[in-house]
Amino acid sequence: MTGSQKPSDLVQGTLEMLILRVLALEPMHGYGIGVRLEQISRGTFCVNAGSLFPAFRRLERDGLVRAEWQTTENGRRAKYYSLTAQGKAKLKRTTQDWERQTAAISRILQSSLGEL
Amino acid sequence: MAWVNRILQGLRALFHAKRIEQELDDELRAFVDASVNAKLDAGMRRQDAVRAARLELGSEASVKDAVRDAGWESWVGDFWRDIAYARRSLTRSPGFTAVAVLTLAIGTGATTAIFSVVSGVLLKPLPYPNSSRIVRLFMNAPASESPSKRPLRASLGLTAAEINEVRTRVRTLSHVGTSTGILRSLRGHEEAARLQGSRVSASAFEMIDAQPMLGRVFNADDELVGAEPVMILSHAAWLRFFQGDRDVIGSVTTTDSVLGQRVESRYTVIGVMPQGFAYPEPSTQFWVPFAMSAPGAPPLRGPLVGRLADGVSVEAATAELSSALRGIRPEARETQYELALEHLELVAPVRPALWVLMSAVGCVLLIACVNVANLLLARSAARDREMAVRVALGAGRGRLVRQVLTESMMLSLLGGVVGVALAFGGVRILKQLATTISRIDLSPTAFPRIESIAIDLWTLVFAIVCTAATGVLFGLAPALVHSRVDPVRGLRGPSVGAGRSRIWRPSVRQCLVVSEVALAMMLLVGGGLLIRSFLKLSMIDPGYNAENVLTFQVSLPSSRYTNLEMRAFAETMVQRLRSSPGVEAAAYGNQLPMVNLSDTAGGLWTSPDPQRPPTPVGPDARIVSRDYLRVFGIPVVAGRGFNDGDGEGQRRVLLVNQTLVNKDFAGESPIGRAVFIGRDIVPWEIVGIVADVRQFGLDHEPTPQFFVDMRQWGVGGTFFPIGAYYAVRTNADPRTLLATARNTVANLDKEAALFNVAPMEDLIANTIARPRMYTALLGSFAAAGLLLALVGIYGVIAYTVTQRTREIGIRMSLGARGGNVTSLVLRQSFPLMIIGVSIGLVGAAMMSRFLETLLFGVKPLDAATFGTMALMFIWVAGLASYVPARRAAKVDPLVALRCD
Repeated sequence: MTGSQKPSDLVQGTLEMLILRVLALEPMHGYGIGVRLEQISRGTFCVNAGSLFPAFRRLERDGLVRAEWQTTENGRRAKYYSLTAQGKAKLKRTTQDWERQTAAISRILQSSLGEL
Repeated sequence: MAWVNRILQGLRALFHAKRIEQELDDELRAFVDASVNAKLDAGMRRQDAVRAARLELGSEASVKDAVRDAGWESWVGDFWRDIAYARRSLTRSPGFTAVAVLTLAIGTGATTAIFSVVSGVLLKPLPYPNSSRIVRLFMNAPASESPSKRPLRASLGLTAAEINEVRTRVRTLSHVGTSTGILRSLRGHEEAARLQGSRVSASAFEMIDAQPMLGRVFNADDELVGAEPVMILSHAAWLRFFQGDRDVIGSVTTTDSVLGQRVESRYTVIGVMPQGFAYPEPSTQFWVPFAMSAPGAPPLRGPLVGRLADGVSVEAATAELSSALRGIRPEARETQYELALEHLELVAPVRPALWVLMSAVGCVLLIACVNVANLLLARSAARDREMAVRVALGAGRGRLVRQVLTESMMLSLLGGVVGVALAFGGVRILKQLATTISRIDLSPTAFPRIESIAIDLWTLVFAIVCTAATGVLFGLAPALVHSRVDPVRGLRGPSVGAGRSRIWRPSVRQCLVVSEVALAMMLLVGGGLLIRSFLKLSMIDPGYNAENVLTFQVSLPSSRYTNLEMRAFAETMVQRLRSSPGVEAAAYGNQLPMVNLSDTAGGLWTSPDPQRPPTPVGPDARIVSRDYLRVFGIPVVAGRGFNDGDGEGQRRVLLVNQTLVNKDFAGESPIGRAVFIGRDIVPWEIVGIVADVRQFGLDHEPTPQFFVDMRQWGVGGTFFPIGAYYAVRTNADPRTLLATARNTVANLDKEAALFNVAPMEDLIANTIARPRMYTALLGSFAAAGLLLALVGIYGVIAYTVTQRTREIGIRMSLGARGGNVTSLVLRQSFPLMIIGVSIGLVGAAMMSRFLETLLFGVKPLDAATFGTMALMFIWVAGLASYVPARRAAKVDPLVALRCD
C-alpha cells in the first residue's frame, strides 16, 4: 500500500466520508476498503489499519454501516460492511457539504490578489 | 438519538467484552489473510507476503487499542486498570505514599475545618424564613446627640409604644418588633436558678415564624397595659425545671428579678417552644412579651428589628423609617438611622478574620499541592524508563496522562479521607478555642453562630471538590512531563539523562519550590504579625495581680434582704472567708475588673448640688470592701488605702486612680481635697491615689475611677445593682477554694447560692479569646506551611544531589573537597530561596493590610516581623538544604563513578 510519493494524511473526519463512499458501491470487507481507498485516490491516501478499524467501529456505533460475517471469494470468512439507510442519507449530506466547501475553498485559493 | 445509541452500544460492549474482543481478533486475522492473499496474487513469495502484511498492519495491540478507544466504554476498563496499577505503584513506595498522603491530609483537613466555620458562620442562612431580609435598626449619633458625648453607632432603644407607631407608619417593613434580654431566677427551685430570657414582641416571633411545641405564642393583646403576664418556656427549661410536664400550660410560675431592685413577678405559662428554637440566642430559656409600660413607670426600651416587605430595598426602608423616627424623636436632628441586614451584622465582627483564615488555609493547601507535585516529579524521573517503554509499546500521550492523573487522584483521595478525619478533630478544637464564658455581665466575646459550625453535607461536598481539585492541581505537572517522554532517550537510560533534554525539568521543580517558599513566607509573616500582636496584648499589665484570685457572686433570696442586710451579709461573708485556710485576703465590691457595666454613682464633683441631674458619664465608681485593693494587689501610689478606721460614721474618705488625677486635677496631688458624689452634699475627702487598672479589657486604656469603702456608702439607691462580686486571694489554685466558699454561703443562708464562679485569670483570658483563637489558627497554619516548604526544599536538593552524584564523583576525583561540593549544592538552592522569600515578602506586604483589624499594637508592615520571619525562614531553609548538601560532600568518588 505504499505509493511512490509520500502518502498524504487525511483531513480530519474525511476518512468516514470516504469509507461511506466506497461502501456505497458494494458491501466490502476491511482490507478491501483499504485497498479501494488507495486505488481510487491513485495512491494519494494510504490508510493504515490503526485508523481504518476505529473508523469502522465509530460508523457502526452511529448506525451508518452494518457488519456481517460472510465468506470471501477465496472461501475465507471476513466481516463485510454495508451502508444502512442512515448511512446513505449521511453520505449524501456530507458529499453536498463537502462539495460546497471545496468549491468555495478552491475559488479562494485560485483567486488572484486583486480579487482578494 | 445517536447518543442514546452510543451509550447502549457501549454498555453492550461492556457486557459482551469477551465476544467483541474475539470478533476483533477474527477481523484483524481476516484482514492480514486478505492482505497476504493479495500479495501472493501479486506474485510475492509466501514468506515475504506474510512479513509485508504484518508490517503494514503494524502493532496489532495498538490497532486493537485504537479500536477500543473508539467507544466510551474503553474508559471504564482503562479506569479500573489504572486504579489497579496506581495501587500497585503506590504500595511499592510506601514512604513516598505516606509523606504525600499526610501532606495532603494536612492541607485538606485544615481547609475543610476552616471551611466548616466559614460555611456555618458566614454562608449558611439564619434558621428563619426570609432570614436574609431581616434588618436591625442602628443610629449613628454625632457627639452632640450621643449620651457619651462621643460619636456613637449603636442600636436604638425604642419603647413598645414607639415600636407600635413605627409599625403603623412604615409600610416598607412587613414586620416590626424587638427583643431584649431579661434575667430572672425561678422561685421554688433548689438551685436558685438564674435564667436568661428575652422580652420579645409578638410580631418578632411572627417575623421568624416561631411555632410553639405546646400551647401558643404571644399575640398583640399580651402586650397591652394590664394584660395578664404570660411566659413561654424553652424546650430545655421545660425539661429541666418542669420535668417535661405537659400540664405546665396554664400554670403560674413565680420569678424574682436578679438585677436592680428585687421584684417578684408571676407569669402564666402559655407555651413551650420546640427543641432547637434559638431566638435571639441559643442560651435563651424563656420569653415574656415586650409589653407596653404602665403610665408613669419608666418605659422599657428595646432595639428595633424587622423584615423588609417584599420587593423593598434596604435603602427605601431606611428612608421611610428615618422620616418616621424624625417624627418620633424630633430632638435627635443630626442622628442618622441605618438598617443593617441581620445576617451580616451578626457576624460582622468575625467576617474579616474568617476570610483571612480561609485564605491562609488555602495557602497551606497550595503548598501541600506543590509539595506533592514536587515529590511526584522526583519520582517521575525514576520512572522515565517505564514510561518510555509504554510509549514504545504504543501507549498514547493521553493514555499516559490519564494513568498518571489516576495515580494523583488516588493520592488526593487518600489524603482527602485522612484530611476529613483530621477536620472532625480540628472542628472540635476550633469550637473549644471559640467558646467563651457566656455571661451577661462580661463584654460579649462569644463567637457568633458557633452552634452552626459542623462538618455537614456542604462541608463534605467542599472537601470532595477540594480533594479532586488538588489531585488535578498537583497531578498535572508530572502528568505533562511524562507525556513528553522521548522513548528513544528514555530507553537509553539515565546515563545520558544529564544532557540537554532535562534542563527544562529542574526549572519546573525550581518554579514549584520558589512558589512554595513564597507562599510559606507570606503565611509566616501573617502568623508572625498575629503572634507578635497577641504577645503584646497578653503581656499588657492589667494593673492588678490576677493570679490565684477566685471570683464569684452570691444570689440572695430576693426580697428578704434590705440594702443594709445585704451589706451585712457581704461583710460576714468576707470575714469568714478571710479566716478559712488557704485564704490570704477576701473582698467584695460592686464590680470586678473586666465586668462590662459602668456605674458612675452620679459622677464626682468639686461642688455640691442637690438638684444635679443624673449623668451617664463620669468616672467609674468602685464601691468596695476594705481589702479590695489588697486582694487584687493594686498599689496605692500616694496617700493611704482603706483601713479599719474608715467605718460607718467616720470621716468619709475616697481614693482616686492615677488617670483621674491626670484628667481632672492636671496631675497635681488631690490628696486632702473634698469632692461630692452625685447629689450628695456631704463631702468626701480624697486620701489616696491608686495605680491604674484596665477595667474593660486589656486593649482598653485605663479610665478614671474612684474608690469608696462600702461601709461608708449611704443607704440611698441600690447597693449592688448587679449583685455583689466577691474576690478571694488564695495561696494555691483558686479553684480549690470553691467548696469552702460554697459552705460559707450555705452556712449563712440556706437559700443563697454561688454563681458566676471564675478564677480572675479566666475572666482576663476571656477578653482576648478571639485574638487567641485567630493567633493559634494562623500560627499553626504558618507552622504547617513552613514545615511543608522545608520538606519541599529538602526534597528538591536531595533529588539534585542524587542526580548529580556522578558529576560530584568526577569533581571529587579531580580534587574537589567536601566543602567545595557542599557550597556547589548550596549555591544552587540559595538563589531559589532568596527569590521565593523576596516574592513572599512582597506578597505579604500587599496582603497584610487585611490583617489590620486583627492587630493590636503592631503595624501591618511591621519591619521587625518581616525581617525576623525572613531571616528565620532563610536560616531553617538553609538547614534543610544543608543536610543533603553535606551528604553530597561525603560521596565516595569511586562509588559515585560506578553508580550508573
